[in-house]
Amino acid sequence: MNLALELKRGISAELFKFRRTFVLWLLVLAPAFVPAINFIILFKKGDQIIQDGQNAWAVLLGNTIQPGNFLFPFFVMVIALFVNSIEHNSNTWKLIYTQPISRLATFLSKMKVFVLMIFFSLMLFAFFSLIVGYLLNVVKPELGFDQAFDKSLIFQACLKIFLASLGYAALQFALSQKSKNLMLSLGIGIGGVISVMILMNGWEYADYHPYGYHMFALRNVGPEDNMWAEMTTVYRSFIVATAVFALSGWDMVRKRIL
Amino acid sequence: MSKPIIEIQRLDFYFKEFKALDQVNLTVPTGSIYGFLGPNGAGKTTTIRILLDLFHSKNQQVKIFGKELQRHRGEILGKIGALIENPSIYKHLSGRQNLEVIRKMVGVPKSRIDEVLKIVRLVDNADKKAKNYSLGMCQRLGLAAALLTDPELLILDEPTNGLDPSGIIEMRELIISLNKDHGKTIFLSSHILSEIEKLATDVAIIDQGKILYEGKLQGLQDKGKGYQLTVELDKVDEAAQTVKGLNYTVSETNSHSLVIPIENRTDIPKINKALVDQGIDVYQLNSSDEDLESIFLNITKKLDQ
Repeated sequence: MNLALELKRGISAELFKFRRTFVLWLLVLAPAFVPAINFIILFKKGDQIIQDGQNAWAVLLGNTIQPGNFLFPFFVMVIALFVNSIEHNSNTWKLIYTQPISRLATFLSKMKVFVLMIFFSLMLFAFFSLIVGYLLNVVKPELGFDQAFDKSLIFQACLKIFLASLGYAALQFALSQKSKNLMLSLGIGIGGVISVMILMNGWEYADYHPYGYHMFALRNVGPEDNMWAEMTTVYRSFIVATAVFALSGWDMVRKRIL
Repeated sequence: MSKPIIEIQRLDFYFKEFKALDQVNLTVPTGSIYGFLGPNGAGKTTTIRILLDLFHSKNQQVKIFGKELQRHRGEILGKIGALIENPSIYKHLSGRQNLEVIRKMVGVPKSRIDEVLKIVRLVDNADKKAKNYSLGMCQRLGLAAALLTDPELLILDEPTNGLDPSGIIEMRELIISLNKDHGKTIFLSSHILSEIEKLATDVAIIDQGKILYEGKLQGLQDKGKGYQLTVELDKVDEAAQTVKGLNYTVSETNSHSLVIPIENRTDIPKINKALVDQGIDVYQLNSSDEDLESIFLNITKKLDQ
């Protein structure tokens, strides 16, 4: 059996097992959280928040990306935990690794489903934010959401966040797969986010901290700038992700499964 | 003799410094119910995990279906169904959905799910959530998952562990029927001797990582020095005198039975006749269970000395 067929089977099994779980709701509800708050705030206080001469869409974009960028790592931690704890809790590592699919394919199936989940949610987040803008245009036309604005920017920003997040996402995935103990992966993840927020105020090597790539990736990017001009942190994220996923996969292929 | 389905040769296995398996050799005949017997911690589960490549063996140590496990892993696992220790079940899914997860991985037709549910008699509860299942139902669901690919070989690790008596009987009937009616070879581990005795055609005994006996179940019984005959009767004192008069020793007496070590099964009718001739009522003669147990204990104890 070739790897492509094995992956197809592995991924469809992987997706099926999340039926009736909280994860699926989380994938849809979590990205609605910030847009919902944005809608309420702009609906109530939009006239004070959007200054004269400002593009309403640019304000919405800022209010979307900033909190999104801060909250996204926590979302990634939770999803990484869920996709792995479903096996830890039901004692099913030994079940999925005794099926006639290569260990590599079984590992890659789970990894791909994890990456797809966080990508899907982030795109949904961009989509919900767009809806908020259009909705405000209908219910509060005076806010100025009828102005011209490149709406693709919000998707571009989310895509860049996603790419720059792959590094720490891989770390969270590997930790959650390796250890049943959720405090370990959560602890390291939260420690990572907090430490980078402290270090970015002055430490010269903070740019190398994998839990900060997604924040640095959108630093100094205004609506008029080219989103894709500065790619250093995205490449760093790729390097970390490739190395960590490879190590984690190699470990899964050779390890003794209890 | 039929071709062996599993061949293990000179298998050593270490956990760090600890030698868990020591030069293990096993030959499992095709079509058998092979009982793999040993006390807890003897190396049974380690052996089974190696057979399923959860623990990797070295080249040429393990052959299944005549093929080297490490080289033909996918092909071999496709023809094995396994149930390892505590059940592996997604509790938030129903029984049927649990099978669907595995079905998607192995790529058999959807209709196969109903077939295996029928075999393990779980049709009525198939759509209940697995978290409401009893342990017996969980074990049967695990067996159903193992049967999805219609495997030639079933590897069951302590399948009756933790089940109540009716669950044990049900599982035993299921195993026998899978062997007899569906032609599957069954490799079964247990630490309970009487369990293996009721099922197995062939046995291996393992203790502290070493194989101490391998062969037919009958051969193990013959290996014992003798039997212990338990006779249930009235007039115990009088009976003891009669038995001693025939040059047998009485090893145990209580208010309603005698235990007599004998060397040969032909001694049983002799003793019975003598007792009946004396006008003693004999209610029951029993020579099977205990002696095998003592052989097992003897074999596994020898290593401690």
